[in-house]
Amino acid sequence: MSTTDYRCDVLVIGSGAGGAPTAALLAEAGLDVIVAEEGPWVDQGSVVPFSLEQMDRQYRSGGVTVALGLPSVAYTEGRCAGGGTEVNSGLYRRPPQEVVERWRTNWRIDDLDPDAIDVLAREVESALSVQPLPGPAPAPSERLRLGAERLGWTHDESPRWMTYPTGDSRQGQRQSMTRTYLPRAMSAGARLMTDCRVDKLRLGADRVEGADVEFTNGRRATISCRAVIVCAGAIQTPALLQRSGIRRNIGRTLAVHPTVKLAARFTDELNVPDDVPVHQVKEFAPDLSFGGSASHPGLVALALLDQWEDFRDAVVAWREIAVYYAAITSQGRGRVMAVPGLRDPIVTYHLTRRDRALLCSGLTRLALLMLEAGATDVFPSYRGAPRVKSRRDLATIEDTFSATRASVMTVHLCSTVPMGEDSDRCGADSHGRVHGFANLYVNDASLLPDAPGVNPQGSVMAVALRNARHFLAEGWSRV
Amino acid sequence: MRAPSSAVVAPTCEAVLGHDLPGLDEYRRCEVVDFVCRRLSTLPVHMRWGVAVIAFVVDGWRRTTGTNRLIALSNRPLPLLGEYFRLLRSLSIAYVWETWPDTRPDGRAA
Repeated sequence: MSTTDYRCDVLVIGSGAGGAPTAALLAEAGLDVIVAEEGPWVDQGSVVPFSLEQMDRQYRSGGVTVALGLPSVAYTEGRCAGGGTEVNSGLYRRPPQEVVERWRTNWRIDDLDPDAIDVLAREVESALSVQPLPGPAPAPSERLRLGAERLGWTHDESPRWMTYPTGDSRQGQRQSMTRTYLPRAMSAGARLMTDCRVDKLRLGADRVEGADVEFTNGRRATISCRAVIVCAGAIQTPALLQRSGIRRNIGRTLAVHPTVKLAARFTDELNVPDDVPVHQVKEFAPDLSFGGSASHPGLVALALLDQWEDFRDAVVAWREIAVYYAAITSQGRGRVMAVPGLRDPIVTYHLTRRDRALLCSGLTRLALLMLEAGATDVFPSYRGAPRVKSRRDLATIEDTFSATRASVMTVHLCSTVPMGEDSDRCGADSHGRVHGFANLYVNDASLLPDAPGVNPQGSVMAVALRNARHFLAEGWSRV
Repeated sequence: MRAPSSAVVAPTCEAVLGHDLPGLDEYRRCEVVDFVCRRLSTLPVHMRWGVAVIAFVVDGWRRTTGTNRLIALSNRPLPLLGEYFRLLRSLSIAYVWETWPDTRPDGRAA
């Protein structure tokens, strides 16, 4: 197969919440930028959101990826131009100030000022048109709000990166990376190479010289550059660094928000297959929060699967069913390990005893909330689960739930190359430069020292802007 | 086109589908099994290998002991083996109701 050579000032690997803002800022500052994206460009509107087709086209391994453990934790990664911002619910949360402060002090991160991050978050919100719905929320969202209200639990609506040209909440246009930062980057001259997987970085003594890449059609190429910024997400970033021989404090501290789910049946047809609820219940935050999931008929069936013999009769009523989740801030950690000869990394995750207990109490409380919201039947997703029809049944969840019987999953992954000046624990410095390398940076969810307890992509983008500006101000002149 | 491992996965998948969704007609069942095999072929490579090994063992069990014992095995909460059956069931069930949303609980077309 033929080999082609490319040259640029900066190679940005990945085009999601970390890579796209980074590429935009660098290109707008006049640098010659190549963005290498492993997945394809998929036009918005060309696939149905949350469908199997979308899983096929825009997710890694068709959305079937798992962190091994007891229990294993299923996770998903976007694999397309724009990364996870194209396929997730688009719910936005500003990085909590107390979390930023905790990161700064616990991980010795220089210049991480909560107020400055707040300013950057506002910049992100403006760029992505983050806003609440212009009208009523989808019915499943309203049920969540109603249940919380009746229980007196704190709740709010999460804004989204959406615009609503017609003023209709049901016709939002996602302002993800392919609509915002990537066009900005390309307008400023950045070259986006899709279907382009970076196999390995080319390393010198304390420098990276470029990268070896392979396109989907089998063509191979080398990209030479003065600096590399890896933004491939919390799984692929450490895997690439490890494949390239960089292992110190890389991939050892994966943090996630594990979730368990249930299906709730109501008396009316409330299911909205191609959208998700926007309300979230924060009464027990940051340890525990509740929200709504996508509820395609296939996903409703999946939510009933763990107790199929007892629950399957409900599947015909999927229009009356919506799926909800309880997410926890886990104290467990996982690992990402690139193994020589294997194309994909092995991922593990360990839930602590406290995590397991919290998942149980989360699912019980969520079931209670659903009853208050008017659900006639609640179907928790674990083997041996009872069909919950009244408060009396809730005790059965506490008696029978075990995390190893549940379908635990996550869509929030971070912390595999934590930033900070503590070189015993951190894989990168306070601004994402990989320890021991002059011109190799990370700028994505991997840098967040732990899971923020809220939807993390707002934090990822704000930190990415911070680090990209620092690179332009100080890093670029040194590479 | 089925994935390379379909020779050992497909019979087990068909047996599990036959038990879980006895009303699913043959045409749909073939389509579901094809989908499952296709999806398994896109798993991360270490998972694919793990699935291949387990599928081989399970298929051997099915050939030796028959479908009834296979179904009994599939309903036991065994580590790894249980995960394999859960994977087959997840992909199958999701595909059925995603593709034919009004399918009856036993798999019959509405």
